[in-house]
Amino acid sequence: MTEENKHCYIKEGKLALPYQYFAGRIGSKFLVSLRDKKKILGVKCEKCGKVFIPPRKTCERCFEDISEKWVELSNEGEVTNFTVVRTDDKHHPRKAPYVLAMIKLGGADTPIAHILDGVDPDSVKIGMKVKAVFADKAVNTMLQIDRFEPVK
Amino acid sequence: MAKYFDVSVEDIFNTMEARFRVEGAKGVNAVLAYDISGDGGGKWLVEVRDDSVKVAKTDDLSGFSVKTSADAETFVGVNIGKIDGTQAFMSGKIKIEGDMALVAASAKMFTRYSLPKKSAVTVQGIFDTLVARFQPQNAAGLDISVGYDITGDGGGQWTAVLKDGKCALETGLRDNCAVVNSVKAKDYIDLILGKLDPMVAMGSGRLKLKGDMNVAMQLPKIFAKFEPPKEEEEQELIVIKRNISVDMKYSTGPVMGKFFEGLIEKKILANKCPKCGRMQVPPREVCAECRCWAGDMIEVGPSGTITLIEIIYYSSPDPLTGETRETPYAQVHILLDGIGKEETFWHLLKNEDLADTKKGDRVRPVWSDNRVGSVHDIIHFERIRD
Amino acid sequence: MKKHKKNRNVAIVGIGQTHHSSHREDVNQPEMIHEAVELALKDAGIGIEDVDALVHGNMELFEMVHQPDLWHVIGTGGYGKACYRVTTGGTTGATIVGVGDNIVASGLHDIVMIIGFEKQQEGHTTGGITNMADPLWARNLQTGALTGATAEKTINEFGADRAKRAAMRLRVTLDKHASLNPHAHRNFGLDYDQIDDLMVNSPQLVGELRLIHMCSQSDGAVAIILACEEKAKKISKKPVWIRDHVTVHREETFNMFGINENQEVTHHNAARKLFGRNGITNPREYFDVFEMYDPSSWWGLDWLREFLQLEGDEHLKMVENDEVSINGSFPLNPSGGVISTNPIGATAALRVAEAALQVRGDAGAHQIPREVKHALASGFGGTFWTVLFMLEKDLDWQEAE
Repeated sequence: MTEENKHCYIKEGKLALPYQYFAGRIGSKFLVSLRDKKKILGVKCEKCGKVFIPPRKTCERCFEDISEKWVELSNEGEVTNFTVVRTDDKHHPRKAPYVLAMIKLGGADTPIAHILDGVDPDSVKIGMKVKAVFADKAVNTMLQIDRFEPVK
Repeated sequence: MAKYFDVSVEDIFNTMEARFRVEGAKGVNAVLAYDISGDGGGKWLVEVRDDSVKVAKTDDLSGFSVKTSADAETFVGVNIGKIDGTQAFMSGKIKIEGDMALVAASAKMFTRYSLPKKSAVTVQGIFDTLVARFQPQNAAGLDISVGYDITGDGGGQWTAVLKDGKCALETGLRDNCAVVNSVKAKDYIDLILGKLDPMVAMGSGRLKLKGDMNVAMQLPKIFAKFEPPKEEEEQELIVIKRNISVDMKYSTGPVMGKFFEGLIEKKILANKCPKCGRMQVPPREVCAECRCWAGDMIEVGPSGTITLIEIIYYSSPDPLTGETRETPYAQVHILLDGIGKEETFWHLLKNEDLADTKKGDRVRPVWSDNRVGSVHDIIHFERIRD
Repeated sequence: MKKHKKNRNVAIVGIGQTHHSSHREDVNQPEMIHEAVELALKDAGIGIEDVDALVHGNMELFEMVHQPDLWHVIGTGGYGKACYRVTTGGTTGATIVGVGDNIVASGLHDIVMIIGFEKQQEGHTTGGITNMADPLWARNLQTGALTGATAEKTINEFGADRAKRAAMRLRVTLDKHASLNPHAHRNFGLDYDQIDDLMVNSPQLVGELRLIHMCSQSDGAVAIILACEEKAKKISKKPVWIRDHVTVHREETFNMFGINENQEVTHHNAARKLFGRNGITNPREYFDVFEMYDPSSWWGLDWLREFLQLEGDEHLKMVENDEVSINGSFPLNPSGGVISTNPIGATAALRVAEAALQVRGDAGAHQIPREVKHALASGFGGTFWTVLFMLEKDLDWQEAE
């Protein structure tokens, strides 16, 4: 340790701020459908044919307005990729270990990241068939789908 | 009583006790005064105390915690959401005297006044759909007239003529009705919407049936249930609210580290630029003007002279907790003794000194007993009065 | 005419801005941005495929969203393009135009779209700004951008009544300007006969800085398309030329509050440099309009002096004599300024956009009633740093010296 380093300290601090987020008309329709009807909605770009989830106003590739092109997706899909979270952090949605999977729902072209539960992390496989399990109470975020579980 | 947007000032105050939310008024003890000018205006005192509320019209508004003055139209408009409150306040149409924070708090203490819902269903509307609701399969062989004598505001007289499996509606009452329903318009609408039980209505005399009771009993089968027109629902827009809190670790580096060591020993240390002689407090590793390392530490103060006092009335969140700071409080910029001419030191002023302290006054630090090397090692600066 | 060397000439060829409001619950962030992007593309008459690169900016910590430029791509049209995210506090909007100017002038890209946005309803503005200060010291003391220091300085120099009256007169003037701008977030319908009332009754925030003096917190976005000379002349009938811009930073100034002697503020420094290298000796005469970043009326008043290099009480007189009104000899913020509309990441870009609309003659109801050939636009941020733009209708300064 040098003479100067003797005077170096680490001070604990925080960065705390209130904020809110507005889902907008399109995002709200998606979330309300998850919550009230347990139906998963996507939007389809008629130019390139891609079905996006979560829904968005614009197709990022064609730059077309697709906000009214709603399609209902299946509550079931398959794992296209996954990772096992093995560290705990207060910001994580679950205690480790848990599986974060990319899941492509039936009818969709883009996968969504979500929690895959009800399966031993070591036996998750790409291509595994999974289904959405909805939250019982209003969450009003993507966790309105509480988790995915393997189709038995 | 003058009405604005269909609501009078009295309506707002008369419903205030009913709109009171105990959970929004926890710990609030205050008297809210309202001076409403113009047609339909007046003076009211709203006393919130120990989880209860008392609303009284008065001539004497003395002893208030906060007073709101506005013209009747603005007051009603803001209360029912037709006029933007901030806009009205900023442009001077609403004036507030006293504890401003209570105005914001009152939004939590009372639910918003809502216009009594006008029924979209009218008696005329019900009869307009009567023929369409006719169920011929349940009226086979009937050759009768049914009379309706709907009294009061919005009422009228109608006769439904049932013959050969068909239904025709006439206005007015035929003499030869098999049965005549007599009922007030409001009760009739409630009966049709299922809000008023027919047996209760008959028992209490609000619904009178004259003629063949058997026919009367068949009526619910002869006509299908009336479906009120659906109101256009506003789309629910989702908002999530969060208070993010991330744990951080900050490195002091050796220069700020030495400064904190000084605070623990009740010393304020500045550093000096070896080139231009400028002193900085809190010290910074380099002199930003000469861009050279400035490591020499020199004790300054701890007393000094105020160069700027800022009295803060606006409450902002404390970055350590996200909780709102209490106001008013004052920040002071102090030229500490021995620092030179340009480098002021930033801290808080003792609240008790807030009223009579000004630029040029002498102050000294009040040290915390628990000094750990932080901005809070000095609680605040206080005026030197001796 | 003297000129600052630029590798290529750069022009503004497309401008789009959303309506600005205190709340936009109907759209999320990329959707709001997309509104401005579509309008700018339409204004320029080109498609997103014609745009080579994007520069995206907003305030850090304001919406508590990390890397917004990435997840905004669905609204910006940035898929497959060069995208830059820039955040420099209040100056962000000006810095993104500056970056766009630089990368087009350099020859790196021919057509660049800059996008500034803020959804201030989603975060806590004052809290966000407070979190930008040194966590070991100033963060524990700061109250965002709120300060009564300039009010106190002006009052000490010119007396309380004259100073308060001038600041409030400027406030009312800009409110009148805002009433002419359909995009403006707020106008209160203020009039000069309310000055005495507002001077006393508008609630105090910090010292003599009152609620009515302070800028709004807005939701909104702006997009501006910049093109090199060759492309600009093909795309636009009315290209507005960015003749020059200057950026001036300094160390944070918490350590010298209350000490005003011998400190050249960055606004003065920036204007001195910009005017000097472009041969502008009398800016009040040369510029037809000034869109200034005026976060409060006290600052707006004080900064007139700094930017225009004025002495004594000239800046007060300009306000008192209504020279700064839309019909005056030196119109200030015909758009209503920051005081009326402030989606911070977009705010300084809106100054450039509004100045360019004045040069084009396309400002609508708030178009100043004479030809605009030369416009000035500023950005301000942090504890005093400055970006300053000069825009031209014609390329005539090219026949240099």
